[in-house]
Amino acid sequence: MKKSVYFILIIALLLPAAIFAAGAKEQAVDETKPVTIVYWTHDDAARTKLENELIEKFQAANPHITVERSTRSAQKQIELVQTAFAANEGPDMFNLPIENQYAYITNGRVAPIDYVAAGFKSKQDMLDKYMDGILDTVTVDGEVYGLPLELTNWAIYVNKKVFASAGLDAEKDYPKTWEQMADVSEKLVIRDGDILVRRGFDFRYPYYLIMFVPMVEQLGGSLLSADGKKAIINDDAWIKALTFMQEWGPLGRNLGSTTYQAPRYLFNADNNDIAMAHTGLYQEGRMKTENPKFFESDDWMVVPFPVFENAVKDVASAYYGHFFMVNADSDPAVQKATWKLIGFLLSHGEDYLTRGGNLIQPTKALLASDTLKNMPYSEVFINDMARANMVYYGSDSAEIQTQIRNAVESVMLSGESPQKALATLRSAVQEIIDERH
Amino acid sequence: MGTKQYKGIERKQARWGFAFVVPSLVFFSVFNFYPILNAFYTSFYDRRALSKLKPKFVGFGNYVRLFDPARAANPLSFYNSLKATLTFTLGTFIPLLIVSLLLAILISNLKSQKAKRFLQISYYTPAILSSVVAATIWMLIFDPRGLGNQWMNLILNTPGVDHKWKTDPVMLQVSTMLVYFWKYIGYFVILFITGLATIPQTIYEAATIDGANKSQTFWRITLPLLKPTVVLVSIMAMLQCLKTFSTQYMFYTNGSTRAPINVITFNIYITGIQDQYLGRASAMSVVLFVLMLVLTLFQFRTTKSGENIDY
Repeated sequence: MKKSVYFILIIALLLPAAIFAAGAKEQAVDETKPVTIVYWTHDDAARTKLENELIEKFQAANPHITVERSTRSAQKQIELVQTAFAANEGPDMFNLPIENQYAYITNGRVAPIDYVAAGFKSKQDMLDKYMDGILDTVTVDGEVYGLPLELTNWAIYVNKKVFASAGLDAEKDYPKTWEQMADVSEKLVIRDGDILVRRGFDFRYPYYLIMFVPMVEQLGGSLLSADGKKAIINDDAWIKALTFMQEWGPLGRNLGSTTYQAPRYLFNADNNDIAMAHTGLYQEGRMKTENPKFFESDDWMVVPFPVFENAVKDVASAYYGHFFMVNADSDPAVQKATWKLIGFLLSHGEDYLTRGGNLIQPTKALLASDTLKNMPYSEVFINDMARANMVYYGSDSAEIQTQIRNAVESVMLSGESPQKALATLRSAVQEIIDERH
Repeated sequence: MGTKQYKGIERKQARWGFAFVVPSLVFFSVFNFYPILNAFYTSFYDRRALSKLKPKFVGFGNYVRLFDPARAANPLSFYNSLKATLTFTLGTFIPLLIVSLLLAILISNLKSQKAKRFLQISYYTPAILSSVVAATIWMLIFDPRGLGNQWMNLILNTPGVDHKWKTDPVMLQVSTMLVYFWKYIGYFVILFITGLATIPQTIYEAATIDGANKSQTFWRITLPLLKPTVVLVSIMAMLQCLKTFSTQYMFYTNGSTRAPINVITFNIYITGIQDQYLGRASAMSVVLFVLMLVLTLFQFRTTKSGENIDY
């Protein structure tokens, strides 16, 4: 009896190893068989409606292809895609912010574009159709690994009524510099003791690579040296930017903080609780849905990302992209079908702009279109993009952003000195990039 | 002959018993035992989540890195995670143990069955609430304009003061403890009520006849006879606190700073999932496992839980 008990116990304990070892077997290639594309993306009601409609058309034209589209929150999408790929169970098609997606290219997880399947005559034909340089982001060793679902930058939305209620004229008094932003916010803010009942402006925490690093760059600093080997360039610039954030927070002038509700969620309601929000062109679509009266009114406008008074560089908030990519481990027939689907979806750029969540797909045709030019304040976004950099998107970008977040929050919320926070930041980021090299 | 026959029946019964146990054994092996072994194994490698390359063997490199004194100054270091975990565990598990015991005694002594049931359900409800719902409720309470500040200012007569529930490092730790306490108190109250119900009423009657007052009854009868439950609850509560994750995650995603609440499980999540260092995250989980094992053994030793209670 004892022996049989031990035998069954050993089998039971070793069983999982056998199951997991058998996980990675190769699949046979058969391009004629019906294929199913598993497509994972993040929530966006307007885009979901449009894509479901387009996918239905695509399936009707390609009866052997079935598309299984599923959505989840943007944060969950980042975690789920990575966990699935780590277990070799990634979806056939997915999109992520480029700062999270780039590691999939460098780790050989995604397949290069099948230009013909995606609807282009050649690689050059594809490059000619997109904004110059935009595909460099997803090009490694001459191969292009993704096509942009959206390219987004943020500018400052202004509620003119809130300005007027504080005796300001938004058209004239909107802040052009960060110093003015703090002073104007001081006039706009309403407090109940220490508690902010109305804010003038507040930052878009915790997207520090997108909004804080450009502020440092305006002052002549940068995250990394030109060769990418040294972290935190120009201490004065970083200390000035950190000091500005310290002054902004609850331990300084108390103009905003990380734990109040994000301004972009408050702005559309027009409830006299926020005057300015830092967000993208897509906000217009959301405003139109959530508060059409406010959207149609003349009570809001969009202005450029401010610069410091003594800025040495005119840099706007960084832009970022979401790219469609295809799993390199998917069956070749599925990969081909997926690039065909991506090509089909992206051939409807104007639909994505007008009714798919106001997304800008950076094709030359769309950027030159009247549809984009006729959207309210689209010129502000286009001009800001021209003076902006792509967000830092190395494979370690999430880790670096966490360290910047820690530095900013330690000065804003814990009262640490900018010098000490900078020293900790430098040591942490240097270690991260040293490990990469 | 009779003994032989008896052995045959016993063997037959044992075989069936074993057949019933095998499915759960397989389930445990796949979902618990294998990940534990795999974490031990992975902790000796530099394994990245997305890399297809063969992981590089680094021996104890991941462990050395975790305990490198040069990194202790960084508020996000593993040293500070250990500190945050111990602070949270002590600050939560002791009040959980004491208050749940007191509440259980209070509820058990109620005469009205309706009131008993109502209080049991009331205390237990948070334990079955989803983390998302709990997060939404508490984030609204701890919002600077929320009920947390309003109640505190009413009680302390300090109008307009922001108590910084989600931003001040100490208040942030207190807030996570409060949320956790609220979520799990009911669970431990129910365990204590079950333990109290097993103490025979005759012992209390005998004590009353002997002239024992309520305090004497509690210290001389209830508490000693409840010892197995106290040991069970204290170990469970401590292990639960050491494993805390969703509360800290909820605060972090709602804008709180990470350092004061960067407990080990949260550090494992950031290191393994966000930063993709699976080897390093596995080493952290092994350290947490050892910590839990040592503290549990310590509690067993100090409470001598092996003693049986005979009535």
